Amino acid sequence: MLAQAGRIALRLLVTGIGIVTVAFFMMRAIPGDPASYMLGDYATAESVAALRAKLGLDEPIWRQYLMFVLNAARGSLGSSVVTGQPALQEVLSSLPSSAVLALAGLVVAIATGVPLGIVSAIRQGGWVDVAVMMGALAGISFPVFWMGLAAILVFSYWLPIFPALGSSSSKDLLVQAHHLALPALVLGFSIAAYIARLTRSAMLEVLSQDYIRVARAMGVAEHRIIFRLALRNAMVPILAVIGVTFAWSFGNAILVEAVFSRPGLGSMLLKAILARDYQLVQTGVLVLASLVVLINAALDLSYTVIDPRLRTS
Amino acid sequence: MNEDHPSGHGLGRRTLLGMMGGTAIAAALPWDPLQAQTASGVLRVRFGSDIGNLDPARIFLIENQTVAGHVYNGLVKYDQRTNAIVPDLATSWDVSADGTVYTFKLRSGVAFHKGYGTLTSDDVKFSFERVLDPKGGSAYRGQFAAIKSIDTPDALTVRITTAQAAAGLLHKLTAFNQGWIVSRKAVTELGDKYSLQPIGTGPFVFDKWTPGNEVRVIANPAYFEGAPKVGEVIFRVIRDETAAAIALENREIDIFFALQQPDMIARMRRARGVVVTERLANSTINLVLNTTIKPLDDVRVRRAMAHAINRKALIDGFFKGTKNEASTVLTPAFVEYSDDVARYPYDPAKAKALLAEAGLAGGFKFLITSVGLSPYDKIPVPIAEDLKEVGIDASIQVLERAAYQQARSKGEIQSCITGLVGPPDPDSPLVSLYSTKSFPPGLNTSRYDKVDDLLAKAAGTADAAARKAVYQEILKRTALDQPVIPLYQDRLFLAHTEAVQGLVQNSLFTMQSYGVSLKA
Repeated sequence: MLAQAGRIALRLLVTGIGIVTVAFFMMRAIPGDPASYMLGDYATAESVAALRAKLGLDEPIWRQYLMFVLNAARGSLGSSVVTGQPALQEVLSSLPSSAVLALAGLVVAIATGVPLGIVSAIRQGGWVDVAVMMGALAGISFPVFWMGLAAILVFSYWLPIFPALGSSSSKDLLVQAHHLALPALVLGFSIAAYIARLTRSAMLEVLSQDYIRVARAMGVAEHRIIFRLALRNAMVPILAVIGVTFAWSFGNAILVEAVFSRPGLGSMLLKAILARDYQLVQTGVLVLASLVVLINAALDLSYTVIDPRLRTS
Repeated sequence: MNEDHPSGHGLGRRTLLGMMGGTAIAAALPWDPLQAQTASGVLRVRFGSDIGNLDPARIFLIENQTVAGHVYNGLVKYDQRTNAIVPDLATSWDVSADGTVYTFKLRSGVAFHKGYGTLTSDDVKFSFERVLDPKGGSAYRGQFAAIKSIDTPDALTVRITTAQAAAGLLHKLTAFNQGWIVSRKAVTELGDKYSLQPIGTGPFVFDKWTPGNEVRVIANPAYFEGAPKVGEVIFRVIRDETAAAIALENREIDIFFALQQPDMIARMRRARGVVVTERLANSTINLVLNTTIKPLDDVRVRRAMAHAINRKALIDGFFKGTKNEASTVLTPAFVEYSDDVARYPYDPAKAKALLAEAGLAGGFKFLITSVGLSPYDKIPVPIAEDLKEVGIDASIQVLERAAYQQARSKGEIQSCITGLVGPPDPDSPLVSLYSTKSFPPGLNTSRYDKVDDLLAKAAGTADAAARKAVYQEILKRTALDQPVIPLYQDRLFLAHTEAVQGLVQNSLFTMQSYGVSLKA
C-alpha cells in the first residue's frame, strides 16, 4: 500500500514536471505577448516595455523558466497577469464548478451507458440493440456544443422545464441542481454514447468465450451469467475507458460551460490562453494533469478489486 | 418592486404555456421562468465575456469599461444622449486665453465608496499622474501627452497646464478610461488587489466578482446626483447569443447587452415583451492598407481597391442591413463628421482601369489579415471575393487576438481589418489611424504620414468652428489618399424586457444602468 502511494506520488511528480515544462514552452512558442494584450490598442511603446519589465518578460526564456521552476519548488506558482490574483487560488476557485459538472456528467453517463450497453449486447441484432446503437452514434457524432444549444431550445424554450443558464449564484442547493441538470445531461449523453458502445462490445466478446458457453450448458441462470460472469470480466476495459473519459469530459466541459454560461476551469483556461496569461495556464494545466493522474491511480486500484488476477503479491 | 408579474409579461407567460400544450406541468415545476424576474430591484444584464481589470490606467474591453462606468466618475463626462461634454465631478472649468491652462472647480463633499474619504483635488492629480508615470505601464499615457503639469491650488481646484494649446484636452479628461478618477488612499492601500476591488465615486459600488459567472454592483444611496432607481445590477456572463436570447425571453435576464448577430437582432424584434434599441456607434470598421508595401504605396491601387469592394452587398447580405455605409472613419455621432469627401462607389470596371493605369492589369498578390473574432473573421471573405473579381489575387489569414496584435505591430502585413471602439473624440480614430505617432505599437498600420501637420493644427485651434474645419480637411485628405478604406459604420443594438424603463443607449459600446428603473 505504501509502495503504491509512493508510486503514485512519483508519477504525479514526473507528469507534473513534464506537463508544466511543455506548457511553459508551448505558451511561449505561440505568437502574442501578454503585455500588449493587456494594454490594448492605445498602448504606447514605453508602456508595453514597462509592463514587460514588470512581468519579467524581458528576461531570456531560459531564465524565465529557471525562475518559474525555482518559484514552483518554493510553492509559488505566480499570479495571473490579467487579474493580479495568485494563479493557484484562481484555478482552485474555478475547479469545484467544473468538477461538479464533470462528475454529474459521468454519473449520468455510467448510469445510462452501462445498462444500455448490456441490454444491447444481450439483444444483439434486435430492435433494442439497433435503437441503442443509433442513439450512441448520434451521441458521438453530434458535437456537444450543438447538443447543448438544441437542449436549451427544447428544454428551456419550447418546454420551459430547465433554465437556459447553467449556473446560479443562489446558495439554495435545489436551485443550483436545477441549473446544473441540463448541462450535466448533455455532457452525460455525449459520454454515455462511448460507454454504451464499449460496454456492448466488451460484453459481446466475453459472452462468446468458452466458459460462458460451458456455464450455459451447465444450466447456470442467465442473470447469473450476465452479471456475475460476463459483466465482471467486461468491467476492466469499461473502467479503463471511464478513466479516459473523465479527463476527456473535462475537455468537453469547456464547451458545455461555454454554451450554458457556467463558470469553470475550462472557460478560465480558455480565457487565460487567449490573454497569454502564462502563469494561469501553467497552473491550470498542472492542476488538471494532477487530477487525471490521481483519477487513473484510483482506477488502477479499482481494477484489482474487480479482477483478482491483477493483484500484485 | 413586489411579487406581482409585470403586466407586459402575463401575455408572454400564456404564450409559453400555450406552446407547451398544458398548464399543469408548469405549475408543478420548481422553477418558473417568469418568477425569476420578480426579485426586487435587481437589474440583470448580459455580458458577452468576463471582466479582468477595472483599473482605469489599464482598462480596456467594453465589459470592463461598462462596470467601471458604474463605479467611477470623471471631471467631465459625455451626455449619454447627445455626446456633449457636461460637468461630472467638476462643476465648472475655464480655459486660459492661450489654451494652455485648464482650471477645474470640483464638487464639494463627494465621498468615495466604502469609507475611503472625500474626493479632493489631490485624488484627481494622483489619478492622472499615475497614468503619466512611465513606470506605471498605463496604456493611456499617450492620451495625456499634451499635459505638462497638474497643480492643486486648493482642495477643490485642479489646474492642468499643457505645453502647447491643446484644444482636445477635455475629451481626454471625460469619464472614460484614463479620465476616471480613483482614490489615492484606495489605490495605495489595496496595491495589486485594486484592479478588481475598484473604489470610485459613482452611482454604484463594486460588490463582488465571481469569475466566469457574474459581477455584482450595488446602488450607492449617497450618489451626488441622487440614488439609482435599482438596488443592484448583476452583469451575467453569457457568451452565446442564442443562449442570451432565450435567457431574455425566459426573463432570466433583463437586458441583452452587445446584441450583434443579425439573426438574433431579428429574433429579438419578433419576441413578445422585448424592446430592441439601436444607436449609431462612434466606430467604423476599416480595411487598413500598408502604404509602405508595394504596390499598395500607389494611391491608384488603393483607390482601385476601394472601387472594387461592394460595401452595399456586404451590409445588405452579410449584415442584413444592420450597419451603415461609411465614407470616412468618423460617423455622424461625431460633431466633426462630414461626408463631403471623395467617394469610391462600387465600380469594378473603374477599379480595373485604375489597376491597368498603375501597370497592374495582371493583378497582384494580396493578403488580408484579420482577427478571429466575429464579425472580423468573416467579413474578409466577401471582400476577397470582390477583389478577385478585378484581378487581385486576394487571400485571407485569420489569427487569434494575441497573434494578430503581434503580426500587426511588426508592420509587415499588407492589410488588416481595424475597428476602433472609443469615445466620441475625433482624435480617437483620426490620431490612432493616421498619426505617425500611432505606430509602433498602435493602429496606424498603414504607416500613413500625410496629416501630422493637420492633426497638430487641430490640437492647437481653440475655436470650435475653426477646429471642425481642420478636421474636415483631414477627412478630405485621407479620403483622397485612401490609406484606410472605410467599410461600414457600426450600429449598436440592445434588447431589454418591457419592465426596463429609462435606459439610454450610448454610442460608446458601453451600457449605463444609472437612470434605469424596473417597472413592477
